[in-house]
Amino acid sequence: MLLICGTIPQEDAGLLLGEARFDGSKLLVGNTEVPCTQGTAALASAACTVASHCRIPAPHAVFAGDTGSGKGSRLIYDYLSKNLPQIKPDILLMHYILPVMGLMKQVCAAAEKCARKPIMMADASSMYAAKAAGLAGQFDIFTPDLSEMEFLADPDAIHPAYISRHLFRADIAHVDDLIATAFRQKSMAKTVIIKGATDFVVQEGKVKFTLSEPDLPPLEAIGGTGDTISGMVGAFVDAGFTHLDAAVAALKANREAGKYAQATPATRISQIIAAMPKILNHN
Amino acid sequence: MAGAGRGLQTRWANNAMFAVQFDSEAGLHMRGIKKIMFFGSKKQNKFEGGGLVLFQAVDEAIAAEKFLKAADFEVKLVAPPPALRKGCDLAVEFNIVEKAGVERVLARKGAPFVEILPIKGASELLDIVKVVNFDTACMVKAGNMKLTFDKNTGVILNISGGGCPDIPFLHLSMVDKKITDVARPKDNGHTLCALMLDRAFVEALEIFRKEAN
Repeated sequence: MLLICGTIPQEDAGLLLGEARFDGSKLLVGNTEVPCTQGTAALASAACTVASHCRIPAPHAVFAGDTGSGKGSRLIYDYLSKNLPQIKPDILLMHYILPVMGLMKQVCAAAEKCARKPIMMADASSMYAAKAAGLAGQFDIFTPDLSEMEFLADPDAIHPAYISRHLFRADIAHVDDLIATAFRQKSMAKTVIIKGATDFVVQEGKVKFTLSEPDLPPLEAIGGTGDTISGMVGAFVDAGFTHLDAAVAALKANREAGKYAQATPATRISQIIAAMPKILNHN
Repeated sequence: MAGAGRGLQTRWANNAMFAVQFDSEAGLHMRGIKKIMFFGSKKQNKFEGGGLVLFQAVDEAIAAEKFLKAADFEVKLVAPPPALRKGCDLAVEFNIVEKAGVERVLARKGAPFVEILPIKGASELLDIVKVVNFDTACMVKAGNMKLTFDKNTGVILNISGGGCPDIPFLHLSMVDKKITDVARPKDNGHTLCALMLDRAFVEALEIFRKEAN
C-alpha cells in the first residue's frame, strides 16, 4: 500500500484518513472532497491516476488541514509516529508537512519499527526536514528540483532559503558538482530524481537517466508539476516497478501530459493531470 | 548582562544558565527563576529549531518567548553560541522555517529584537532573483519559489516551487488576482518558502509597474 502524507490548504480540515479516490476532476479522501490544487492534492491525484492505470489498489492518505501554522503538520507527525507499525505501508510518501526535525526523527524511528520497513519517499518540505535532520540516508527516494538539489549540496543549509550564495546558480551546468557534493555529504536518498529543464535520475551518486524532451519551459511555471512526478513515482513503485523504471515512466508521462495539455504559463495542474490517462494508455 | 537597576540578569550554576530578577538595591531575587538551556548541551536541548532570535536585553528575550508560546510556536530560551552572540547572552530558539510567522508575532506585540539567524549555514536569506520571459508572461524566480504573471494585465497566472504548507494556501489566495491587488506573501504566510515567494512577488510587482509606465 502506498501511504501519502501531507497537508491541504484548509485550516480547519483536521486529520483526514482513508483511501484516496480521484475521478478525473475530484479528489476524495474518505467522503471528504479535497480541491485538486498544487501540493499534496496534486500529488495524490496523479498517484491515483497511475494506480487506476496499473489496476492496483488506490493509495491511502494521511492528510491534515494546514495553511502554514504547523498545527495540521503536527497532527500528521503524531499520527505517523504512533501508528506506522500498525498501518504497515509498503511505501511511505511524505510531502507538504512543516519541517520539524525532531518530529521527522520520530516518524523515521516508527518506520524502523514496522515488521518490514516501508520504502521511504520524501518530496518538498518533508525532504527539507529529512536532510536537515541528517536522515537522508534513511530515505529511498528524493524528488528535488534544481534549487532543492543545491540545498541538498549545502552541508549547513536547513532550508532552500538559506543556501550559500556560491551554490545558488539555478542552472543545470553544475548539476554534476551538486550531485557529487551532496552524495559525498550523505545528503542524498538512494534514488534522487532531479526535476527541471533536464530531468536526472541519480542512484548511489551516479546519473542513470536524463530526459530533456519534449522541451516545455512553461511546465516550470505551473504549480504542481513536480508534485505530479512524485505521486506517479510512488504509484509506479507500488505497482512493482523498480525505482529507476518508476522514475523514468513518471518523468516521461509528466512531460507528455504537459505537451498534450498544450501547457502555457497559465495552465492549471488539474489540466495536466486530466491529460495523464490518455498519455498512460498510449505508452 | 543587564546593567544596574531593576531587571533580569543571567547567572550560571551547575553548568546551566538561570535568568533571575535583579534589583541593584535589594540584590538578586531568586523568585521567578527560569532555567535556560545551554546551547550545545544535547542532553537538555532536545528541541532542534535551527533558528535564533537575538536580543539586546534579557527581559526582551523572556517577553518574546512568552509572546511566541502564546501564539503556539514551539520555542525555548537558550544561550546562543558565542559566534552568533549579539546583544545579551540570551536568545529564543525556534523552528527557523517559521521565520515569517515569528517575525509577524513579534512585530504585532512590539517586541524588540536584534536579529533572527539560522544557527548554522548562510546567515542571510538567499536574495538572488532570476527573471524568465515567455510571450506575454513573466516568471520571477527567487530561490526555490517562482511567481508568474501576465505582463499585460498583471494577473498572477501561477505560483510554483517550494514545499512548505502555506504555499498551496498562498497559491489559492493569489492566483487569478491582479498583482497590485493582493497582500504580500509575507503578510499571510508563515514560512521561509513564503518569504522567498515574497521576494519574487516584490520583484514581479516592480517589473509590472515599470512595464505599465
